[in-house]
Amino acid sequence: MGITRTFKVGDELPPLVKHMTQEAINLFEGSAGHRGPSQFTDEATARQTLGTSSTVASGRMSLTFGLELLRRYFGADVYNRGGMVDLRFLRPVRPGDAITFSGKITAISKEADGNRVSVEVTAANQKGDVTAVGAGSCVVPSGFFPPEE
Amino acid sequence: MVQTQEADTRKVLDWEALEIGEHLPSFSYVLTQEMLKEYRRGVMDPEAAFPTISHKVDVGAYGRAYRDHGSVNARCAFHCYNTPIPGNRITVHAWIADKYLRRGKTYIVTEAVSVDDNGRLLDRVITHELKQPAEVGKKWG
Repeated sequence: MGITRTFKVGDELPPLVKHMTQEAINLFEGSAGHRGPSQFTDEATARQTLGTSSTVASGRMSLTFGLELLRRYFGADVYNRGGMVDLRFLRPVRPGDAITFSGKITAISKEADGNRVSVEVTAANQKGDVTAVGAGSCVVPSGFFPPEE
Repeated sequence: MVQTQEADTRKVLDWEALEIGEHLPSFSYVLTQEMLKEYRRGVMDPEAAFPTISHKVDVGAYGRAYRDHGSVNARCAFHCYNTPIPGNRITVHAWIADKYLRRGKTYIVTEAVSVDDNGRLLDRVITHELKQPAEVGKKWG
C-alpha cells in the first residue's frame, strides 16, 4: 500500500510567499521570447498603456504561484496531471511587493478517477490588500485516501 | 529602396462583431531547455513544470488575428494534464470562448489547448481580458 493522506474540508494549506522583482518579471516575459518593451517590463509603456506609475507583473505570474501553492500541497505527481487553478486579479502586483498565497479546502467530491479536492485560493500583498482570489482543485486518486470504513 | 516592413494584415477588433466560437490561428513552437530554465528563475520555483504559461498562448493566438488598444488580464484559469518536455514541438489551438459586457466595460474570453508532437495534451488555459487597459491606472494609479 502506498502513502495515504487525509484531506478534510477546512484544512489550510501551508502559505506561499513570493517577493516580486523587476528581474523576475523580465525573466518570466523573456522566457517566452517577449523581450520588447511592454507594460510588464517598461515604465513608460506601462504609463502609456495602463496609466500606472510603475510596471506591473502579468497576472499569469500570480497564476503560476497559485499552481505552486497547490502543487506543493498535493504533490507534483498528482497535481501536474489533473490540477487546476482559476484566479480573478483584483489589484496589480508590482515590483517590490511580497505576495502571500493561501488556501483552504472547501469541498471533497467523488469522481470517476478519484476524489476532487477543491480549495479556495487568496493572494494578498504586504499591506494585506487582496490581489487575487479564486479556486483550485486536484483529482486525487482514491488509492491516496485511507480505506473507506 | 527595399521595403522590409510587412503590412499588418490583422483585423481591427470590432467587439460587437466578434463571434463566440471563432477559431484563432493555430501555431507551434519548440519548447527549449533555456525557456524552461528562464521561466523557473522568473517564478522563483525550480520545480515549476508548465512554462507554457508565460507563452500566453491564448491571447497570443488572438493577437495573431486581431489588433486593438491592448488589454488587461482580469481572470485566468489553467488546467494541468501533462508536463511539457523540453525539445518537443508544441502546437496551440485557440478560440474565442466568450465575450461579455460588465459595468460598461468589454471583455473577451480566449481559450487554448497545447498539445505536443507526441499527441500529449499538456494544458488548457482560459483568459478573461478587459479591453480597456487604462482602467487599471484610473483605479490603482
